Amino acid sequence: MNYMLSLLVFSPLVGILALSFLSWKNERAIKLAGLFGTLLPLILVLIAAAGFHSSVSGLQMTEQANWISYTLEGLNGSMQLKINYELGITGLSLVLLILTAVVSFLAALASWNMKNASKSFFIFFLILELGMLGVFASQNLFLFFIFFEITLIPMFFLIGRWGYADREKAAYSFLIYNGIGSAILLIVFVALFMKTGTLNYGELTKILASPDGAAVAGSTFRLSVLVSLLIAFGIKLPIFPLHTWMLRVHVQAPPSIVMLHSGILLKIGAYGLFTFGVGFFPEEFKKLGVLIAILGVINLLYGAFLAIVQTDLKKVLAYSSVSHMGIVLIGLAAMNEAGVKGAIFQLVSHGLISALLFFLIGVLYERSGSSDIQDFSGLAAAMPVTAGVLLAGGLASLGLPGMSGFISEFLAFIGLFQTMPIIAAIGALGIILTAVYILRAVLAVTFGPKKETHSAFKDLTVLEKVPAFVLLALVLLIGVYPEILSKSLTTVLDTILLGLRG
Amino acid sequence: MQNAWLIPLLPLLSFILLLLFGKKLKEASAYAGILLTFLSLVLSVIVMAGQWGGESYKAEGLWLNIGNHPVTMGFEINPLNALMLVVVSLVSFLVHLYSKGYMHGDDRFHVFFAYLGLFTFAMLGLVLSPNLLQVYIFWELVGLGSFLLIGYYYFKPEAKAAAKKAFIMTRIGDVGLFIGIILLFWQTGSFEYDEIFKAIGNKIISPDMITLTAILIFVGAVGKSGQLPLHTWLPDAMEGPTPVSALIHAATMVAAGVYLVASMYPLFEASAAAMTTVAVVGGITAVFAASIGLMQKDIKRVLAYSTVSQLGYMMLALGSGSYTAGIFHLMTHAFFKALLFLAAGSVIHAVHTQNIEEMGGLWNKLKVTAPLFLIGALSISGFPLFSGFFSKDEILMATYENGRYVLFTLALIAAFFTAFYMFRLFFMVFSGSPANHTQEVKESEISMKVPMLVLGLLAIVAGYLNTPWFGSFLEDYLSQGPVSFSTEEVHGPVWIPVLAVVLSLAGIALAYVMYGKKTLARDWLSRSFPSLSSLIYNKYYADEIYQATVVRGTTVFSYFWSYVDRYLVEAAVNGTAGLVHWIGKKGSEFHNGQVQRFGAIALAGLVLLLLIFAVTGGYFS
Repeated sequence: MNYMLSLLVFSPLVGILALSFLSWKNERAIKLAGLFGTLLPLILVLIAAAGFHSSVSGLQMTEQANWISYTLEGLNGSMQLKINYELGITGLSLVLLILTAVVSFLAALASWNMKNASKSFFIFFLILELGMLGVFASQNLFLFFIFFEITLIPMFFLIGRWGYADREKAAYSFLIYNGIGSAILLIVFVALFMKTGTLNYGELTKILASPDGAAVAGSTFRLSVLVSLLIAFGIKLPIFPLHTWMLRVHVQAPPSIVMLHSGILLKIGAYGLFTFGVGFFPEEFKKLGVLIAILGVINLLYGAFLAIVQTDLKKVLAYSSVSHMGIVLIGLAAMNEAGVKGAIFQLVSHGLISALLFFLIGVLYERSGSSDIQDFSGLAAAMPVTAGVLLAGGLASLGLPGMSGFISEFLAFIGLFQTMPIIAAIGALGIILTAVYILRAVLAVTFGPKKETHSAFKDLTVLEKVPAFVLLALVLLIGVYPEILSKSLTTVLDTILLGLRG
Repeated sequence: MQNAWLIPLLPLLSFILLLLFGKKLKEASAYAGILLTFLSLVLSVIVMAGQWGGESYKAEGLWLNIGNHPVTMGFEINPLNALMLVVVSLVSFLVHLYSKGYMHGDDRFHVFFAYLGLFTFAMLGLVLSPNLLQVYIFWELVGLGSFLLIGYYYFKPEAKAAAKKAFIMTRIGDVGLFIGIILLFWQTGSFEYDEIFKAIGNKIISPDMITLTAILIFVGAVGKSGQLPLHTWLPDAMEGPTPVSALIHAATMVAAGVYLVASMYPLFEASAAAMTTVAVVGGITAVFAASIGLMQKDIKRVLAYSTVSQLGYMMLALGSGSYTAGIFHLMTHAFFKALLFLAAGSVIHAVHTQNIEEMGGLWNKLKVTAPLFLIGALSISGFPLFSGFFSKDEILMATYENGRYVLFTLALIAAFFTAFYMFRLFFMVFSGSPANHTQEVKESEISMKVPMLVLGLLAIVAGYLNTPWFGSFLEDYLSQGPVSFSTEEVHGPVWIPVLAVVLSLAGIALAYVMYGKKTLARDWLSRSFPSLSSLIYNKYYADEIYQATVVRGTTVFSYFWSYVDRYLVEAAVNGTAGLVHWIGKKGSEFHNGQVQRFGAIALAGLVLLLLIFAVTGGYFS
């Protein structure tokens, strides 16, 4: 029996345990413990990746244990219900696990300069990481739901206690929205459980795809479940008009937490849509294809137009996230290999790029106490390295070839142009708009006459260079040699596309 | 030839090295850049020599799988791109050398050379690309190089605005190219040139689709080559240092649009509508930009509009079916326009102004620059026996033979304008009495003179590569390439070159009378047509029109949705939250401890349950 995944998922507990033995006064030790707490999962995930066979189709490193089993007595006879503890990974979940571990480690590093980062901050941080790792490693809906909920609680406190001025409102807004999403998910999962008697992803897929699957779950049921999933994960992703909570979180949460939020938590929405939406209901997903493509284009353009007129860098990036998640929807809606691959590439690419950009905003805020565009000008004079990395991150975000953003954008559009060329052509306008808002924001900060107040700012310290350069290097690596990511996705894509072809 | 991939990587190496160690190297950075681009030049020359009578070469490796379509990256050598390799690496090398003197004393000297390396890498990569996707990748990267170098003086608000404008305006064109490439991919299943040409040859693609994709690709070329209506970024790009203007905005990147159309020539040739579009846009741009050049006061802007105009000529040639004439002019233009820019840089270096009204009488002071500028001016004006004369003649012939008489007339007018504005520039800068200069005017140092001398020589002799008298070496050479075009000699009527020379001389003579001898008042024309001249002086208000329509429209639209987001979407959300709050509040009122109310509610609940039971007839089955 292989316990690799359980070790990985619960490895943040080591850090939590260590932290709980430390005195709250010893700030340095707390920060070190927090950092090493995130290093452990990173090491484990890399070991797991080394043992992963990208050419083998299906689940790997599976773990299964009996967990809950009970008999439901009803008027129509009794029903044996079993919920197991099941973990396993596909190429997609492996990629997202690596992303989680990497971004978490770098975000912990980014918290180094936080003045009020206390013991409880890092404990919540590690619980959050545990939840995220669990979400991507789970192989049944019950487990998924538990880990999904585990991410909500620490996030609520992290925003509410360590955020900016309006943090409490943001935290509540986060909780209410995600609570609604969770409630819908719960109902959907229970409904699926009652219809099929299983919560395991693989079994569910098999039952729903089998010839007598129609008897188990009718087409109306399937469609309504899919729409519910679209709403539940649409809140998380977010899909217009369910995006306002996430703007608040982006603006109010501390930068290192936004790195996690924008970099990984939003991806859970896409992951859910992909695994449950496309995975369980390919036929119905196809029917909704045009709708999803239109939603994607709306997200893409709406986010971009709004990003053009924002004056707060955090808001520019928040709307930019809305816009970039549109690409994920576009790619999924295309329902061909190029499109779906583009969507997955976009998850990883946006995760890295937004983590990088929010990290830099944190650096700027730390020095200036502001993230308002108008408070900056000519920063390249005082902080040439920061300005350079910010420009590079911006260019990655606007899809410059040679960087990861281009690959995902290009693949998603290539996919959509095959199936819905008109919608795709409208969406392509987003490529111009992205350049407009990114350059407006980035150049306003780094170019122009320098401000006297900036001359005291220190450029990136050695510690700050690590997250900046690691993230940039990964963005470049995927951009120059996309096959490195593509390889591990091949079997996932084959399975999904098989389902889509029917 | 197998090692041709080294050609772009050498300048990339320069970029990386200077980025890492440039700060320590300081002005020694120049040597790294100069040496590495020189190596590129040597390799390019070897590659081109091998192409003379040799075979095309192609090497590729898998990059990414899209479904069943493997996408490859690699490089290809054919006569056209071997020629481009030499042109690009030569001009880049000369500009590197020139910049050593020109940028002397600049704080960010090494950054400048790093950016030059990056740009050269991208441009050479673009030229070597064997497929459209790779072209697009490098196409964007040359745009990046251009953007960085235009914004080199990042603290100047004008440079910042110009860099942003250049990026965004070219990106508008790029989206066209992007869509065109994707559509072609779904038509042919490949990004490769040869696969696409095969599909066109086998008539797999419908004629409408050919026209659509050709025009979309042309949109990309319009953006990069500053053709109408996406031309306004190119004059603003003059905010960059002058060597950059010579390299990027005269000789190489802006010509990439022409190169793109040339390398996709079979696609364009398959659609008469696309060819006409190219010719018309080119012809109108040629005369439009030349007319603006007549009245500008900034030496670099005159040259910038001149570039736009000359690129229009090249497009006109390609659209009129003359592949060779387009490429020929691309090459001669690269030499004489780079020369003009470098000479202009040398002038600016000496007098520290770009306003030609503040210059004058420099002929005796800049003894090397002045004659070289004259060579460039004669060449671009189509003065007999200089290179521009031969290449421009071919374009005129081709247009006439193609039966595009209106465009032919426009091209002739543009030729007259060209001669006039170039010599207006020449006389204002070099003749007359010296303007007041507080500083001593000094000729530039040797590292700046050498590149100009080399280009001066090329501006004269490059024309003899393809002449009606000595033979059509260039055409024979290009015809070995994968792109087939008619090689039959264009024998237009003899009066065309004669007329062209007469017009060019007339332009020079008019400039001489107005600005050299000054027997004719400078403003005799603008006084006669005040509204026309103010229209031209203000560049036909193109910037203002775009500002008022597209820019303003986008901003207003964005603000509108921003308010919708803030007041409608947000309000709906707050409304939901408010509703939840209200229900909670109302609900809590029930918990007031009154037993009667509890009893009433319990009873109501029981009644409801019984009712449901009665209606559904049992357990919730």
